Order: sequence, then structure tokens, then C-alpha cells
Amino acid sequence: MNFDYHEPTSLAEAVDLAARHGADLRFLAGGTDLIIQMRRGRVRPRHVASLHRVPGLDSIEANGSVALGALVTHRRIERAPAFRGALYGLVEGAEVVGGHQVRNVGTVGGNVVNASPAADVVPVLLALDASVTLVGGSGERTLGLGAFLTGPGETARRPDEVLTRVAFPAPAPRTATAFVKAGRRRAMEISVVCVAARVTLDAALERCLEARVVLGAVAPTTMRARAAERALEGRALAPDALREAARLAAGECRPIGDVRASARYRRLLVETLVPRALARAAERAREQAA
Amino acid sequence: MSRLALTLRINGDVHEVLVEPHRTLLDVLRGDLGLTGTKENCLEAECGVCTVLLDGMAVNACILLAVQCRGREVTTIEGLARDGALHPLQRAFIEHGAVQCGYCIPGMILSAKAWLDARPATAAAPTEAEVREALAGNLCRCTGYQKIADAVLEVAGGSREGGGAGAGGKTSGAPLSQQAGERGAR
Repeated sequence: MNFDYHEPTSLAEAVDLAARHGADLRFLAGGTDLIIQMRRGRVRPRHVASLHRVPGLDSIEANGSVALGALVTHRRIERAPAFRGALYGLVEGAEVVGGHQVRNVGTVGGNVVNASPAADVVPVLLALDASVTLVGGSGERTLGLGAFLTGPGETARRPDEVLTRVAFPAPAPRTATAFVKAGRRRAMEISVVCVAARVTLDAALERCLEARVVLGAVAPTTMRARAAERALEGRALAPDALREAARLAAGECRPIGDVRASARYRRLLVETLVPRALARAAERAREQAA
Repeated sequence: MSRLALTLRINGDVHEVLVEPHRTLLDVLRGDLGLTGTKENCLEAECGVCTVLLDGMAVNACILLAVQCRGREVTTIEGLARDGALHPLQRAFIEHGAVQCGYCIPGMILSAKAWLDARPATAAAPTEAEVREALAGNLCRCTGYQKIADAVLEVAGGSREGGGAGAGGKTSGAPLSQQAGERGAR
């Protein structure tokens, strides 16, 4: 770990540094992953630029649509009153990232840019149809989160771009989210499989108008199980519909076997966790409507 | 690569240090300032022995650059006793025999302090499950955690069976499929 340290005080200055140093520069948000990767020698940036003095990157805006600044910590997501209702899946994702010590420092921007297929907050953001905003030398652009994540640890971010925020539309009425995770222990564990769900119910609280089923740690990127989503739309979220969605999701995912679990076991977990996440989201949507 | 002149506030004292930008808070505490109560082990934010408080929040000093602490207040285990009197958590750990080898204890106590300090004064008496969740980022390989949880519970005004709402004590051993669906002790 040998680098020059920079503290840009504006976005323009941060972008300028990135344009000048390209892949030799890494932005530092919380550093909970970057410092570890640098110590392991996996990344060796010659320049590190902390984003902490760039104004406006640490706010949570929830007036209608929701925007999370890149520097919003997991702790703040856990505690934000705005995420108590329909968006509680975000809290469920944030509160299982590392231990308290990591959540107090680690950021949502870092979680997204890090692009781990096993990230815990990313599936919920994807279920909310989130997009990311990137600011670079040629201006600002917005990309769907799904398009932004291109592979394990790989994103569509250009070297001169700063991810400034993650945003998603306000949830429709009778909508809720849920996140469930399987690990070998309850704390401080990378997900073996995680699942996020979002459902919107009809006015009678019977049928599902729209569904999102998002799977983590079973493909090169966090992925939507689109066949499962389609199978749910227009149907009552009864056990047979949930089972069918689970079976389709297990078929769609592309897990690998590794030290944490075999591919076959991961598929089994998908089939088990998808109905659980959907049922929890549906129950929450009914509570929201009540 | 140039060195940075940093002013760090640690346990209420102001320290001027000159450090390379890659030096972590843990390096500076132990190597430059001789504050060796903060321990070093995994260096990957897994074990929690390096836990210190940054503006009152528990953080892993092993993955925090010293420069990230500029202008903020750091508290280490050396900063807990006041005028020679131990902090109530320190006394409780001794009284409960919650210490075996001791290596994890500074981090345990600081995580417990951050949790206690963040609890609303009006909160119901905590359960053991809540205490164990609060300490989830700190590993102990000697004690089995029971006496540690007991010590923290005593200071927090709770009891092993759980004085507040919710069930206590579901902490481990459940099949993975059940763990995945449960909220609570993790």
C-alpha cells in the first residue's frame, strides 16, 4: 500500500483527478473493501482520492422518488425513518452487511461500485428498479443498476467517473419489499444466497400487479429472475404461485460451487428463499395498505 | 509519496503525527502512540479486536486510514477509565469473569459501549439476543460469549431471560434454512 492521497473538495476536482490518473486512481468512500484489497495486493492504486470533502454525497432524499448519496453508510440506511415501511427490504439488506463496525463506515456507493455478486443491499436496490448517476469528464449520465453491473467486481463505470448517487422511483401504493439471506452463521457472513423481492398488490390486496425477484450470489452479477417475475404478475400470491416462481427462479440462476456451497445447494436455497421473500413482501404490502 | 501532518484527537488528547497516507489508525495507535490496548489480528475487519470508537461509533481501526480520522474524536480502551476508576463495563467484565485470554476484550468493551451509548434512555431493558447482536462484529475464541453477554446485560439493566420485548437467546445452532428466514440474533 503505497499511494499519494488526495482530498478533492468538489466533484469537478474529483473528476479532474480521475481523468488525470485514470486506472492508477481509486476513490475512497468508506474503504471497508478498498483497504483490504490494497493490503492483499489485489489492487495497487498509485493515487487514492477520498470523497469525504465533496459536498452533497451523503444525503438521503425521500420526497417522492428516493435518492441515496454514494457516501450514505449502511448504518444510516438501517436507521432512516424513510425506510421503515414499504422500503424495509433495504434495512434488511443493510443490517446484515458485515458487523456494526463495517456498517458504521461502509457506504452504499462502495457496495454498488464494488459489484460483488453477493452484495446484500444491491438486490434490494435492483428490485426497486434503481439507477445510478455517474459524473465524469464528459458530463453526467444515468444508468440502470442492472446495466451498470457487468460482472464480478466489474461495472460500466469509466475510469474518470464518480458514482454520485443511487436513486429509485417512489414505491406505488400497496407495494413492499423484503430481503432474506442464507449464510453459514447469522453474523459477519458473506451470503451463500440472498433474495430480494418487491410486490405491488391490486386494490383488493389479492392479486400481484407487479413483482420483482432478485437473486444474489448465484450468477456473475446480482440478477433478476424475470421468468419468475412474469409468472407472478396478475396472479394471487397463493402457495402454488410462489412455488412456481421459486422453481422458475431456481432454473434461471447460474450458480457456481465454491467454498461456501455447491451449485446444487445454491439452487435449492433459491427455491426455498424466493417464496419466503415474496410472502414477506406481500404481507408487508397488506400491512402498508391497512 | 509524501507524509501527511495529522492532528488526531484520541481519548481527549491532541496528537500531532507525521504519517504516510497508507498507515492505518491501528498502525498509528500501536506503533506511533504506544496505545497497545487496541489489538491487531485479522486485518480484514472480520474479528473486531481492533475496535475503537470514532465519534462514538464502533469502527475497525485495521481498515481505517489514519487520515480518515482527521478532525474526529477517537476513543480507545485506554480512554475509558476516569481518574483511575474503571468504566462500569470494565468492572462488570471483571466481576463476571468474562475475560479469559483477554485479547478480544478491549474491542468487546468498546462495541458494548457504542451500543449502550446509542440506546435511547427510554428503551426497554435489553434481551440477551440484543446484546449478542450488538457484539456480532467481535469474535472471542475462549469464553463462549456467555459471561461476556452477562456482563454487558448487567450494565444495560437487562437479564439473561430478557427483560424487554421479544424472545431472548436464539443465537446459534438453527438449521441454515431457518436462520435465513429469521430476524433477530444473527
